[in-house]
Amino acid sequence: MPVLLRHTAQALVAVWLTLSALFLLSRSVTDPAAFIQSTLSANTRLDARIDQAALTQQLLRRYGLSAPLFYTSWQPAAGWRWHGTGNQYHQWLGQLLAGNLGISYRQGAPVRGLLGEALRYTLPLTLLATTGSVGLAIGMATSLGYRPRARRLVLLALHGIQSFPLFLVAVGLLLLLANPDTLAWFPAFGLGLEPESGNWGQRAGELLYHLALPVLSLVIVSLPGLVIQLDGAIQQEMTRAYVATARAKGASRRRTMRGHVLRNALLPTIALLTDLLPNLVAGSVVVEVLFALPGMGRLLAEAAATQDYPLLLGAVGLVAVVRLVAQWLTDVAYQLTDPRIRL
Amino acid sequence: MRPQHAKRPFSIRRLLAGGWLLLLAGAAVLAPSETIIPDLAHVSQPPFGVGHWLGTDPQGLDIWQALLQGTRTLALVSVPATLLTLLIGAGLGSAAGFLRNSGWQPTWRSLLTGLLVGLAALAQGPRLTPASGGLLVVTVGSWLLLGRFGFSRRRVALPVDTLVLGLMSLLESVPLLILVLAAAAVQRPSLGGLVLLLSLSCWTTPARLMRAVTLQVSAQPYLEAARAAGIPAARLLAAHIWPNTRHILLVRFPLTVALLIGLETTLSFLGVGLPPEVSSWGQLLATIRLAPTAWWLVAWPGLALVSTILSLHTLGRTK
Repeated sequence: MPVLLRHTAQALVAVWLTLSALFLLSRSVTDPAAFIQSTLSANTRLDARIDQAALTQQLLRRYGLSAPLFYTSWQPAAGWRWHGTGNQYHQWLGQLLAGNLGISYRQGAPVRGLLGEALRYTLPLTLLATTGSVGLAIGMATSLGYRPRARRLVLLALHGIQSFPLFLVAVGLLLLLANPDTLAWFPAFGLGLEPESGNWGQRAGELLYHLALPVLSLVIVSLPGLVIQLDGAIQQEMTRAYVATARAKGASRRRTMRGHVLRNALLPTIALLTDLLPNLVAGSVVVEVLFALPGMGRLLAEAAATQDYPLLLGAVGLVAVVRLVAQWLTDVAYQLTDPRIRL
Repeated sequence: MRPQHAKRPFSIRRLLAGGWLLLLAGAAVLAPSETIIPDLAHVSQPPFGVGHWLGTDPQGLDIWQALLQGTRTLALVSVPATLLTLLIGAGLGSAAGFLRNSGWQPTWRSLLTGLLVGLAALAQGPRLTPASGGLLVVTVGSWLLLGRFGFSRRRVALPVDTLVLGLMSLLESVPLLILVLAAAAVQRPSLGGLVLLLSLSCWTTPARLMRAVTLQVSAQPYLEAARAAGIPAARLLAAHIWPNTRHILLVRFPLTVALLIGLETTLSFLGVGLPPEVSSWGQLLATIRLAPTAWWLVAWPGLALVSTILSLHTLGRTK
């Protein structure tokens, strides 16, 4: 257990420091007057004729911008001043610990609800891409182990694919497979979900159909790293004596590979899994923007583009939590692969 | 390790890669610097037509000229950012590997003076010009004041290694793209700001490698002999460790440029990277979202981007 606990503690400290830095930075560049102005002009329901000063105060209090920013502040005239616990940072941290992520500047809705809504699309996307790329990587690497000629070709191709950025792969797929001029096999954007149409199975099928290209582009981008690493480990294991023993005792190549080599070769590859899931979530930013999916990645990109800081902070925190979960899964996977490893 | 290939540094692939990069460098130098005037009579024109041989985008911009200008932007962002990244990574990585947790033992006096000056500089913020005399006062004052206490002569071991490792794991707790995206959202970066932002968030990989190599080299017997001979630490680093670790940086250089190019174009594609008036390949690629069937908007910049990254990978891999 100590490893899990240590990783959790490290991740929590990292999340706290990252979010605090982002919070303080973003709040210190937010100009309350300009913020109020833009909120008023964006929201026509707030009638400008009613008392401006009271309205401003109310809005500032609603978004938590009225208090001083941090415990201390420095004014050129008065020097250091101590504000006590009635500051923005303290309130924000308390709310965060209570699970309240604040209210989105642009959409006026609680951040937690927005993120939860978006996760309903991002979770299937990233989980499908994860299982797809891990399964394909294991399948490819094990079937290449005893085929040196095919292995060289495939590795060359994979090294080539590695130099394609994700957005280019996604755009390429979009142009080839979802374009009325070439092949219109897949939908170009959206989810095509009408809430009450069809039974559960039909809706799942529809979702899969619309997620096919996004998942495919994520898998193509994350596959080379996994296959190259796993293949290297397999080639190293193949020179060991136990492989010759297994073959000499009559085990087939397939059986040697699946039952003996793979298990030992997986061990160094598992370390890559820690970063796979968070990287796929980061990749979903690009993919969701391009395919117009209403998921977390697009939420994050829009929050970054419109400087919607509460939403941005919530999304970044969620990604950090995803990395923590991936770390746990990796720790467990280590132990499943090699029971001698104690957690 | 393939000895028969290691003796032959000039293979055809590397020659092609180097040739392409030289071509890019030439394009970056020769690119027209004035703003491109949109040709509103020929909007979204397919390539190989009259006047615009690579076509135009939905705003009527000539793609060939935009590509050339994008090359200059690419070189201006990625090369300085890479140099800075490698500088930070090499500095922190070799400091962590060489000093470890007990190698640097300043006195409390100098440590606290440094901390106080750092705090004072932080409180002053970036506007250093009028009151920078105050910093000098703080420095001298705290140095003299701390000299009066007995404890300030004692030495304290600074855990450099732990600090650097902690900083690295802090930066790596969030994927690179999301970290840069969030930071770019807080303050929309200029060209120089983007260089700084990219290098401040990408230095962890070179630092990790430098730390590992430095640890390896520090454990060699010849270094122990050099220490025993009383050679000072700075000279140890400069004359005995650095010559054996710098090859890491040479190998990392093309790979870091490739990483930064990918990151920078992705940011521009998402519309968060460079300011909109600076033309870049990512921005050119992003116009596909306005005209989803115009394949020439993706083909040329995409081809250029992939060949660049592939060339850099080729140079980085076989070295």
